[in-house]
Formats: sequence, C-alpha cells, structure tokens
Amino acid sequence: MRKTQCRIGMALACLLVLGACSREPSASANIDPARLAVFAPLVATTAPGDRSLNKDAIALGRMLYYDPRLSKSQKISCNTCHTLTEYGVDHQATSSGHNGQKGDRNSPTVYNAAVHFVQFWDGRAPDVEEQAKGPVLNPVEMAMPSEKQVIAVLKSMPEYVAAFKKAFPDQKDPVTYDNMGKAIGAFERKLTTPARWDQFLKGDQNALTTAEKAGFNEFTNAGCPTCHAGGLLGGNMFQKAGVAKPWWDTTDSGRYKVTKNETDKFVFKVPSLRNIEKTAPYFHDGKTATLREAIAKMGEYQVGRTLTDAQIQSIQIWMASLTGEIPADYIREPVLPKSTSRTPKPSEAD
Amino acid sequence: MLKRVTKYGAGVLLALLIAAQFVQPDRANPPTDPSASFAAVAKPPKAVCEVVARACGDCHSNQTVWPWYSRVAPVSWLVASDVKEGRSKLNFSQWNIYGSEMTQIKLGEICREAKRGEMPPWYYIPIHRGAKLSSWDVAALCSPTGMEPR
Repeated sequence: MRKTQCRIGMALACLLVLGACSREPSASANIDPARLAVFAPLVATTAPGDRSLNKDAIALGRMLYYDPRLSKSQKISCNTCHTLTEYGVDHQATSSGHNGQKGDRNSPTVYNAAVHFVQFWDGRAPDVEEQAKGPVLNPVEMAMPSEKQVIAVLKSMPEYVAAFKKAFPDQKDPVTYDNMGKAIGAFERKLTTPARWDQFLKGDQNALTTAEKAGFNEFTNAGCPTCHAGGLLGGNMFQKAGVAKPWWDTTDSGRYKVTKNETDKFVFKVPSLRNIEKTAPYFHDGKTATLREAIAKMGEYQVGRTLTDAQIQSIQIWMASLTGEIPADYIREPVLPKSTSRTPKPSEAD
Repeated sequence: MLKRVTKYGAGVLLALLIAAQFVQPDRANPPTDPSASFAAVAKPPKAVCEVVARACGDCHSNQTVWPWYSRVAPVSWLVASDVKEGRSKLNFSQWNIYGSEMTQIKLGEICREAKRGEMPPWYYIPIHRGAKLSSWDVAALCSPTGMEPR
C-alpha cells in the first residue's frame, strides 16, 4: 500500500514538473548559425558621393547641432529633441517645438541614423544631410521663417563664417543652407554605437549571455527578422503598421502623405532596434511607453502572435545586447560662436 | 445503436461543413502598383521573373490565382492564412519597400530556401506541379544575389 502511494506520489510530482515545463517552453540558448545569416555588424559610415567627412566639417556640424540660434525662439536646437546624452531622444511621445507646439510623430534617435536607408518615419529625406534641413524651417519645430534668415543668423557671427570656410575650403561663399545640412550630417555620420551584439556577430561567443542567446532565438522564432534584420536590425525597409491586424490608431497615414499612393497608407520606415531599451517611448506616435508593451504589440499587430510574458521578457533581455556606448568625447558640447550686434533677436511670435 | 450514432455524427459533420461555407476568408487581391513590383524595381533577368511568377507568386504577391478549393471551407481558411503570411514575409508586388541592404537579405533568403528545398512548401507542389523548382530554376533564383547560400 505504502509502495503504491509512493509510486502515485512520484508520478504526480513528475507530471507537475512536466506541466510546469510545458506551460512556458523556453527557447534554446544554442544559436543556429543559419539564423545569423540576415544580420551584420554595424558599419562605420562614410560620406556619400562628393561629400566630405573632414574634421572641420564635423566640428562645424557639432556646433550647429547644439546651437539654439537656429530656431526662431533661439531656445531649440537639434539636441533639444535628439538629446545626445539620452541616446538621441527626448523620451517624449512627440516633441515640443516652437511655443510648445507638439509635433505629430515621435522624434527618432540620431544614433546610427546615418545608416538608415532613408530618413524620417515616412522616408521623405534620402539622407541625414537633407533631413537636417527639415526641422529648422518647420513652423511646428524650430520655426525659422526662411533659409535666408538662417543664413543671416550664421553670417552675423564671424566665428561661424570662418568655420564654414574651413569646412568647405573650395567654395567662394560657403555659408549656405545646404552646407549647414551637410555639416550637421557630417557630425551625425559618426554617431554610431557598436554594441556587444556586434562582438558576437564577429565571433565572440562570450559577448552574449545564455539568457540573451535564448532571447535571440525567441526573437527569430516569433518571425521578427522579417523586418528587423541587417546591420541595424531595421532601418532598411518600409512596412505597414498593422500587417497581421489593423493598427489601433489610423489617424496617421504614414508614407501615403508623401507619395499619395494607396498602397503606402499606414506604411512607415521600420525602426532600428539598436539602443531600443534606451529610446522609449515607441513607434511613430510615441504612444507606447514601455519596451515590454512594444514587443507585445509587434507580436499582435505585425506577426499575428500572442507572445507570452516569458517570451517577451526573453526578447527584452536579448535587446540589452544591442545597447552601445554613447561616445562621450565625440558628443561633448562645444563652445558656440558669440552672437554679435548683427545677430537677429529671438522671436516668440507664431 | 452504433448505426444511429454514426448516422447522427455524419449529419452533424455535414451540417458543420455546410455552416462553415458561410464563413469565407478575405480572398481579395490588394491593389497593385506595377512600378513597385520586383520586376520593375529589381530589374532581374527574365528567367527569374518567370520562376517567381510560377513558383512563388500565389503566396508572395498580390496577384494570387485562387484555386477552386480556396472557396471550400475549411481548406479556404488554410489557403487564405498561408497567403496572408506569405505576403507579410515577402511580397514581390511591393518590392519598393526594401532598401538596398534588405533587398540583398531577401534575395539571399530566396536563394537559400530554394536551394534547401524549403520553398515552395512540400504540400503546395502536388497540386501545383509547375511550382516544383528544377536545378535551373534554383540557379536562376540565386543569380541576382551574387552570392552562394550559406
């Protein structure tokens, strides 16, 4: 009798253990090398075409990036919404621009942005040089009234004029709006953040913990690399928000605003996953506060899977390996050129 | 008794099958912009376009040819689900969504999966004999990638 009770007890214990295991199957920590074929280490960016990435252009770009005098109120700089010490974001759903006006999309990080195949959520600028020229004249953002006014501000400061001449030595009149964009772009092209993930891809098996390797397997099991692949794990294609299930908010028609093609409705650039744990809130509208929530929503709306809490947590653990180090020296705030009596005064007018 | 159970069982099954026909999945082919297609954007060799249309197009494009059995539940649900998943992973009608890096990634995946015989799926081939890839077809699919599958 006792023996029978003991056997029943053991059988129940086995069942309990098996049950516990089967409730939340966890992914293996062994990564099949075939799964890595669609990923690549972060590349060092170079200047496209005839553009120069010389140190003078970068130094000028750094000053312009931090200079609030490129805004109408002289209170907003690129760094206000793309704060370099905060992984290139301001952690707002949408940023506050001129006179507190709110933009309609989340400010994406500038780190690694130069590697993206296009710029802005809707891809309306081809590169960072063109992108940099957008917010300065946007009435909701930095609100400068015209390119002419921007040039007037820059030309009012001899130090800027000298810096432009140094950065663009072959040009007669280098203080131009285009060159402003090129210099900011040159600075941004070096804002890259290699991470432990890159060391792993280069062959260092110890660069990732066992839990992170299991998290990567969960990520691929869920089908995420369909869009999040390549060197940035994103930033190299457009995708519709709501592939598997209609997106919960359709007020923003995405790339349709640029192309007017029906097929581009609710289509956005796929964001990169680099530094993703540091760049909350998420998605084009910034309405998703936590990474946990963002992963769950991607499962539900993009790949059509309800991810378990354990799967979400595992993927989140792996994502920590995508966080790189902020280049503290490179982003150190420079001393800005002094205003002169010719420098236009700030304006709070709309 | 057994005869009666069998008779009722068959009746219930038939009723369920008939009822299932009223739940039809969405089989509409989304609008297509010809300038966004694989052929227009990637400009691959003609042979590649031909293989893609023949072996991949039903699930990986907006120009699905829906067979008769895709109108009969429950098979219709499975076919529609396969097409939806296929389009979400790779859509030859929307090739303009890919940047150059992702284009290379997708072409590499196409080549790898064709070489390994993972695509088209085994269950698709018996009913679409033309979809079976010959070694020439695989070579054509791998030609635009400029790479050997790892």
